[in-house]
Amino acid sequence: MTGAGLELRGLSKRFGKLQAVDDLSFDVRPGELFGFVGSNGAGKTTTMRMLLGTLVEDAGEVVWNGKPIDFEVRKRVGYMPEERGLYPKMRIGEQLEYLAQLHGATAQAAHDSVTRWLDRFGLGDRMRDEVQKLSHGNQQRVQLAAALAFEPVMLVLDEPFAGLDPEAVDSMSEVLRERAAAGTPVLFSSHQLELVERLCDRVGIIQHGRMIATGTVAELRRHGPERYWVDAPAATADWTKGLAGVELVRTQGSRYLVELTNGAGDQALLRAALQSGPVHEFRRDVPTLLDIFREAMTEARETTA
Amino acid sequence: MRQLPDLHTLYLIARREFLTRLRSRFFVVGTVLLAVMMAGFIVLQSFLAGRPTTLDIGFAGDAQVLAAPLKQAAESKTLTIDNHDESSVAAGKDLVNTGKLDVLISGDPAAPDVYVKDDLSTTVELTLTGLVKQVALNRALVAAGANPADVAAQVANANVHVSYLDPNAAQQTARIVVGIFVAALLYVTLVVYGQIIAQGVVEEKQNRIVEILLSTVRPAQLLLGKVVGIGLLGMIQLMILGAVALLAASRTQVISLPDLGAWAVFSGILWFVLGFVFYALVYAAGGSLVSRQEDLQAVLTPITIVVVGTYLAFFWVIANPDNPIGIGLSMLPPFSAVLMPARMASGQAEAWQVGVAVVLSIAATFGMTRLAASIYTNSVLRVGSRVGWLEALGAAQDARWRGSAARVSPAPRP
Repeated sequence: MTGAGLELRGLSKRFGKLQAVDDLSFDVRPGELFGFVGSNGAGKTTTMRMLLGTLVEDAGEVVWNGKPIDFEVRKRVGYMPEERGLYPKMRIGEQLEYLAQLHGATAQAAHDSVTRWLDRFGLGDRMRDEVQKLSHGNQQRVQLAAALAFEPVMLVLDEPFAGLDPEAVDSMSEVLRERAAAGTPVLFSSHQLELVERLCDRVGIIQHGRMIATGTVAELRRHGPERYWVDAPAATADWTKGLAGVELVRTQGSRYLVELTNGAGDQALLRAALQSGPVHEFRRDVPTLLDIFREAMTEARETTA
Repeated sequence: MRQLPDLHTLYLIARREFLTRLRSRFFVVGTVLLAVMMAGFIVLQSFLAGRPTTLDIGFAGDAQVLAAPLKQAAESKTLTIDNHDESSVAAGKDLVNTGKLDVLISGDPAAPDVYVKDDLSTTVELTLTGLVKQVALNRALVAAGANPADVAAQVANANVHVSYLDPNAAQQTARIVVGIFVAALLYVTLVVYGQIIAQGVVEEKQNRIVEILLSTVRPAQLLLGKVVGIGLLGMIQLMILGAVALLAASRTQVISLPDLGAWAVFSGILWFVLGFVFYALVYAAGGSLVSRQEDLQAVLTPITIVVVGTYLAFFWVIANPDNPIGIGLSMLPPFSAVLMPARMASGQAEAWQVGVAVVLSIAATFGMTRLAASIYTNSVLRVGSRVGWLEALGAAQDARWRGSAARVSPAPRP
């Protein structure tokens, strides 16, 4: 499969005894926001470094628009590393223009773009300040501006939301959505799953260097078990017994969480509940990304065990 | 390195390194301070060397006839004498004791008693001895029936004829002073700017900007940009200091050889370029091994010891200009960077030796560029504990360049 955007094919990297990334494949299409989810040490940063070329992969390849990615393309990728880094004693405007020029922008284009982004982030009047004089949140904004100020062909952001206050999270999300809408593939990693769920078109869950699930949040949900919350105060504790394809997961007072298997229908379940008396609640349990994540992790662990 | 470094990128990096430091207080204050210190040193030297000495000498009794000839004879030896007549030896001794007189001379002019507190100027002693012998000779001539004035007229024409077989020898001292000066200036600049480069490398590593830089710039470009930018700054500082030194030296006439001085500055700058690139690469590679400024000194000390040792060795080399070991060292990198320009300034180096030194130095710098780029590439993204030289070199052996990608070992996860 070839196409526009970014593709990672069978990427692997080993550090001594540790298989940091193991035959990893996924793609990020133009206009897509891809959320990269995994525990610490799962291989997210290593993957991004191979993508940016600061690490050489042992096997596999990174493909851009159907061709192996090269230095000229990588130069135009906006990257925000997990470990933030700027020259603390250099002026903000000067520093961003310097970085934009290293990424291939002309002096004039760099100046215009930096001015635009700093104005957008409310830092237009601080262009002549040194980076170290800014608050943490503002430094983070400057860091993002560094990844944006040269019209990048793609954005790769390692934990861009880490340590941001809710307001900053909102403005960061808005910028990412906007870039994606403008056709730029955006790949970012995060621990904040509810944020990823809200923001991303697609999600990839990585564990021990392997991609254990990819897809839209809706797709991932479909893979999950079908569960219902039933509040039936008059029912006996074993009311689900004898119902084919219905399994009781847990009980909370008069509320029961049941799982339907083998294609059992939800209407049969509702009828059985009504037979016991009044039903105050009958609701599909929609798993959050966190639930999906936990589920996927457990499954993967069971498979390897 | 498959491709030549992108020159525009190199220019951008070098310009940032140059401008950032040019504007820093460290550079401005440092240059002014060094220039003032150096000019002050030269002026002080000239003051000490040419300082006129005035002695107060008292004469008592018959010895007073020595006063006028002593004063006259001393004047040709840059010594000024104030003569005082003393009424008695005892009074004169008191004045010597209290320091009001430097010397008291009394008694028979052919065998005078000389009183000093603790020290008699050699010039005074020698001049006085000459005069006293003249007085004794005159008496002997009179006793023998001859006229001292006639004898003096006869011997006045006796003279020696001096032929200078090696006219350059007269410049030897001045040349050696210039040589020491060049060696000192080069060694200080190499060490100071080497440290600045290493600190710059660690700074980028410590504040992690290096990861952003290396996602868009090749490691060799970053390394060379640093060396060029900071090297240019060092060269400008060296030129300012050299100009100040020349000006001060010619004004005070400490060195009466302006041609020699200008040549020393020129060859000094040439050798700064040759030596600096070599050492800067070593310092930069050293800097890339550590992640914090605090760890830097441990890595740099061995390098600095080599430079300082070379500077100290220069004194031995210059004292033994014909020793083959000294001549050999002065042609061999990394020692040639300090020894050869210093030997050139001292007038000890022959043209073929300079040629060999330049060629070897350029060759060594090319070799070092490859080596340092490998070490730097292997270490600069590794954060955490110090990377060993050999470890970085070992990894360098299987380093592959693939587009922008540098092979690096894992950064330990925080």
